[in-house]
Amino acid sequence: MDCTTCTPTPARQDRPHTFLAHEYAACPTCEARIEGRIVLRAGKVYNLLRCLACGPQETLVADDAGRYLIEFLAKGQVPEGHQGDWLFKTTTSTCPTCLALLEAEVVIREGRVFFKKACGECGPSEALVSEDARYYVQAYAFARAGTEPLEFTQPAKAGCPVDCGTCSDHEQHTCLPIIEVTDHCNLECPICIVDNQYSSHMPLGVFESTIAGLIRAEGRCESVAICGGEPTSHPRIFDLIRAADRPEIGRVVLITNGLRIGRDLGFARQIKDSGAYVALQLDGFDAETHRVLRGRDLTEEKAATLRVLRELKIPTQLIFVAARGVNEHQIGQAVDLLLGEDHILSLNFQPVAFTGNGGGRFSHDPLDRLTIPGVIDAVDKQTHGRIKKSDFSPLPCSHPQCVSLTYLLRLNDGSYLPFPRFVDFRKHGSLLRSSATLPATAEMHDTLHEIIHDVYAREDDTERGSDVLAALRRALDVMFPGRPVGVREELRIGEAQAKSIFLHHYMDPHDFDLERLRKCCHHYAQADGRIMPACGFNLFHRGAAKGPDTAVPAWAKNAPLGSGTASARLRVVT
Amino acid sequence: MGLLSGRVALVTGGSRGLGRAICLALAREGAEVAFNFSRSDQDAAELLALIQGLGVRGWAYKTSVLDKAGLQSLARTLEAEAGQIDVLVNNAGVGQAVPLALMEEEDWDRVMSVNVKGAFLTTQAVMRGMIKRRRGRILNISSLAGVKMMEAPVHYSAAKAALKGFTEALAKEIGRYGITVNCLAPGILEAGVSTNLPEARLAEYLRHCALGRQGTLEECAEVVAFLVSDRNSYMNGATIVLDGGV
Repeated sequence: MDCTTCTPTPARQDRPHTFLAHEYAACPTCEARIEGRIVLRAGKVYNLLRCLACGPQETLVADDAGRYLIEFLAKGQVPEGHQGDWLFKTTTSTCPTCLALLEAEVVIREGRVFFKKACGECGPSEALVSEDARYYVQAYAFARAGTEPLEFTQPAKAGCPVDCGTCSDHEQHTCLPIIEVTDHCNLECPICIVDNQYSSHMPLGVFESTIAGLIRAEGRCESVAICGGEPTSHPRIFDLIRAADRPEIGRVVLITNGLRIGRDLGFARQIKDSGAYVALQLDGFDAETHRVLRGRDLTEEKAATLRVLRELKIPTQLIFVAARGVNEHQIGQAVDLLLGEDHILSLNFQPVAFTGNGGGRFSHDPLDRLTIPGVIDAVDKQTHGRIKKSDFSPLPCSHPQCVSLTYLLRLNDGSYLPFPRFVDFRKHGSLLRSSATLPATAEMHDTLHEIIHDVYAREDDTERGSDVLAALRRALDVMFPGRPVGVREELRIGEAQAKSIFLHHYMDPHDFDLERLRKCCHHYAQADGRIMPACGFNLFHRGAAKGPDTAVPAWAKNAPLGSGTASARLRVVT
Repeated sequence: MGLLSGRVALVTGGSRGLGRAICLALAREGAEVAFNFSRSDQDAAELLALIQGLGVRGWAYKTSVLDKAGLQSLARTLEAEAGQIDVLVNNAGVGQAVPLALMEEEDWDRVMSVNVKGAFLTTQAVMRGMIKRRRGRILNISSLAGVKMMEAPVHYSAAKAALKGFTEALAKEIGRYGITVNCLAPGILEAGVSTNLPEARLAEYLRHCALGRQGTLEECAEVVAFLVSDRNSYMNGATIVLDGGV
């Protein structure tokens, strides 16, 4: 199917199959036990195997893809009265100590999902991957075929994650490209997932060639995110923003801690004038949260930043890193902020990932951590049902375990109503996009028409049915005004119709799942033209990708080559 | 078993002329039939008795097709009484023999409103339940004057031609819900709006008609019964001309 994230680009092709999951199997030639990709293709089910010795091969698994999916989901139903762990499936994860790729059992235990792994060098380990087994299992029903980039930057040889990327085995194009423009920062966050070396700012020319590589691979991008380090510390940040201001790019987003914006009004005005959006790191509202997650009390500084963003009406996304026992009680407050401010377009909750120079050392219990269902639960409880658990759906664009989201329709009285109160996301899958707002595309036009008919037919049974219809009528009128609308204007109009709440769980060595990485759509674009899926980059490639002068991440220094039972071995951490 | 056993139909402008014949044809085919009317209570009462005499339930509503709230209420009431509305026949219409030179703005508005806006408002009220149930048959009664060049009042021809466009666009819009929308364009019938046709025009029509005669209301109603039945399951967005071969 078309990528549901981005404005369709005619030349971008669909993947020939829907990638569902990993399954270990014997190589048909040498019989070595290797992981395979279970894919649904033309109504049948195949296992795509990439054996390092024998090359790529495929085996027919089942003749009826529909029945296979039903049976697959049924494997996640724990029989009543069952004691102990229930094996749902297997996948490939990492040893949390040495990062070796390992076969992992995905087991259900007391309604939650765990990985069970055994490293030959470091011993057994377990990790919580989902606080809600039902959500985890049912998320697979949202699996959809991905879309290919115009060109893959690497051929698939050894397979994932070695060939990053993206290699021709990758299951989704780049929905959200991220470019790290500096390794300087003005904070030393205890949960930082990178490893700032304070060594360089990306030169403008390199940035331009990175953007060019991205456009070559993708054709056009709805968003490009600039991050660091702290991107506002880049001395030529506005030159970079201008360089990204191309017709093929819908919006440029600055991922920032916002400190400079709060204290330098002139700088903030320049951001406003540049047309860039701000993705503001905001993990909470009290001193203790900031101290634990960001290293010092940022309460006043964040408040100042929010004030400036509001005054200048800079379109803003909030990024809230949520950690068990630290700031989960402030999740509802963040939702209130989203709903209360017109210039705040979306809120992205990220359960903390214990990786990188900071996060890898952050005190944590891999068996008791926040996961996507836990954050959803907190949203429900802390908004007192204004946003309910049932309002969220897995995002089919990426791997469905990676992201959950809901859209909130702006009603004509200024209040917001979650789309699932009047839309069945399973039916209207095109609404589920890895994007903060709704696009004015032909596909969206059809979708809105269908929704309007559905709501009209059930108006009496629909929460605020007449208000929803009035809002949808408004959205139709302004999104499709009967005249040519440029990409930028289209985005701005879409932003005024709805807000979004995303939950994106980046992976770490505990819960790393190679299956998820294969369909990642948040990618780091590199100067050498490679475009690397985010969690693979964070865990395996960041040091190597920066060149020989960049230090290998401290947490990866002990990763031995040749360990693990998976089909591929990493070369980049040597 | 009739063509329409177990179905519930609503016919607009049902109490007289073609509407009356359609109501009776649908009832003969087993449909429970409701109709609206705006003028004669006596005509409506007589028709209702005839419908019920055919062994099916019937309902008569004194509601104008230009009364949006009244039509919404009619649809809800009928659905509550009958369970659903499976068939809608947008039959209500008016004509007026007047040349364009003498046509008042009010003349134009009246003909366009009853013929076109009436179909719009009634359909909007009824399709809610059809979408919900993912099933329905809508038939718009147009005229040969709306699809062929004829000597007919301009506003009447324009309105009937509009129904053809209405049919096609709506068929596209709601076909996905299992609702078909078609249009019937009768030629000159022995009764109905063509009753007061000048003799010369009728003669000219008959000269061009292969069958050499006017159609009857019953002939037209029989076709309507088939068009809105489940037997006619693949026709959508079509305009059927029923003119004896002009």
